Amino acid sequence: MSSKSKEQIGRIVLIAVLVLLSLIIIVPLLIMLLGSFKDSAEVTAFDLKLPKKWNFNNFPIVFKEGKLLRAFGNSMLITIISTSITIFVSSLASFVLARRNARLSRFLYYFFFIGTIIPMQIMPTIRLFSAINIYGGYSNIIILYSALNIPFSCFLYTGFIKGIPKVLDESAFIEGASTFKIYLYIILPLLKSCNITVLILLFTGIWNEINIPLYFLNNPLKRTMPLSVYQFFGMYGGSNWNYVFADLTLATLPIVILFIFMQKQFISGLTEGAVKG
Amino acid sequence: MRNKKHIYSYALVIPALVFFVIFFIAPSIYGIYYSLTDWTIGKEKVSFIGLSNYKTIFQSSELRLAINNTFLYAIVVVIGKNLIGLLLALAVNTKMALRGYFRVVFFLPCVISTIIIGLVFVPILHPNGILNNFLGAIGLSFLQHSWLVDTKIVMLSIAAVSIWQWSGYHMVIYLAGLQGISESYYEAAKIDGASAFKRFQYITFPMLAPTFNINILLSLIGGLKVFSEPYALTNGGPGKASQVIALEVFSKFGKGQWGLGTALNVTLAIFVLVICIPVLHMMRKREVEE
Repeated sequence: MSSKSKEQIGRIVLIAVLVLLSLIIIVPLLIMLLGSFKDSAEVTAFDLKLPKKWNFNNFPIVFKEGKLLRAFGNSMLITIISTSITIFVSSLASFVLARRNARLSRFLYYFFFIGTIIPMQIMPTIRLFSAINIYGGYSNIIILYSALNIPFSCFLYTGFIKGIPKVLDESAFIEGASTFKIYLYIILPLLKSCNITVLILLFTGIWNEINIPLYFLNNPLKRTMPLSVYQFFGMYGGSNWNYVFADLTLATLPIVILFIFMQKQFISGLTEGAVKG
Repeated sequence: MRNKKHIYSYALVIPALVFFVIFFIAPSIYGIYYSLTDWTIGKEKVSFIGLSNYKTIFQSSELRLAINNTFLYAIVVVIGKNLIGLLLALAVNTKMALRGYFRVVFFLPCVISTIIIGLVFVPILHPNGILNNFLGAIGLSFLQHSWLVDTKIVMLSIAAVSIWQWSGYHMVIYLAGLQGISESYYEAAKIDGASAFKRFQYITFPMLAPTFNINILLSLIGGLKVFSEPYALTNGGPGKASQVIALEVFSKFGKGQWGLGTALNVTLAIFVLVICIPVLHMMRKREVEE
């Protein structure tokens, strides 16, 4: 056998193996999707058989019972505001951290860096929010997500801004522009690709996270998507897995649709975060 | 110079610093203090009790189990995610049909909430679930287990779900690393007659060192802080068999034992620092050498 055809066979075997592996990813998600159309008896087999009858009405029931619209709105509100705050204050701070090479700015850089590694202290933070009377609502969670995500975002922005030449800022400064004006009119427009990276990183991270809402939301009406999904599972996991699957499917849909339309940005965004960080 | 306005005023750092210091650093420092107290729900006065919370943690067999479970989990996911992530990256880095499809499918689970993934796997890993049925059907019934019920393997099952979800993420980071290696090295090695394995050993592996560091660090920190996976899959059960540190913090919070819970939380922070700082230090050193 020539080495060419040997290579060809090797490639075919590799593709076959990868197809099988990709099924390992797809099958669990397919069980969820198919299960969401079944009735409560049929779903308990948890298999890949197509539903005997496609129960589309699982979705409106779950949508109402699971209060998904409200949860979606809550998640949107929390994610969008905390992401915006984080992007704004981090890029602002990073502009100075990237430009100054003084001892203080290097210290601040490493100081922020600590926040990317160590886990937060939960109960003292709750006490702090109680003391200033905002514990349990939207605002404490938005502030907290911002505080938790600023370190990593600063890290990314600082690295990115270091790659932008200083010449522009200096000429603007000579013409009398303040630091903020330089940031606003010169740096910010150049941050587009870094903003997309940080946006995707923070959006998926906050959207999917459950630990913080568990501790910091005490009003059932303010539940985020992952929290509402878990509570819904607690209510129906014993009796109606078709509803649970329908709920999971609906909760998965928004981010997966976003992912399908923005694959490139997602993959490069989530990984650039790691590589540059 | 002192009176002149600086072109890059530190004033711009202040908003970020305020958020970070007040809502992250201050509670962290306070946490050290509270971990040394008998802070409890409904108690009027908080009194200093020294290291007694820490003594409780290391004397309680339950909490020691949670600590051991956390380490076991972290080690398993670091090895699993990196090994599979690297192999997938090497596979999808070759030119072939369906390459784009593979990348997207393997990456897909990491955009979905861990809670959702966990709940999907609850029925799949059930003793009569599809996984065991499948193993039975293909004649591998000796591999059937009560994945989430058997206290001996429950931690490994939880780790496996996390590996299922995140290997694709590490794959993409390894892929970026692989694509950063110049083709010319491989061509030169091929001319010299180096086998595929030798090429991996002497070119790919050393050139990937920074990528290894990032991937290992990320999976290690995530592994030590683990919460959502066991929360969704077993909620620490059966009994306490799959408790991890972060879940114990949550349970102490629920019971109102806030001093003890905070001590556990501080313990976790110390573990993360002590384990990750040397890894980071190594990374820095290597970067300087480059």
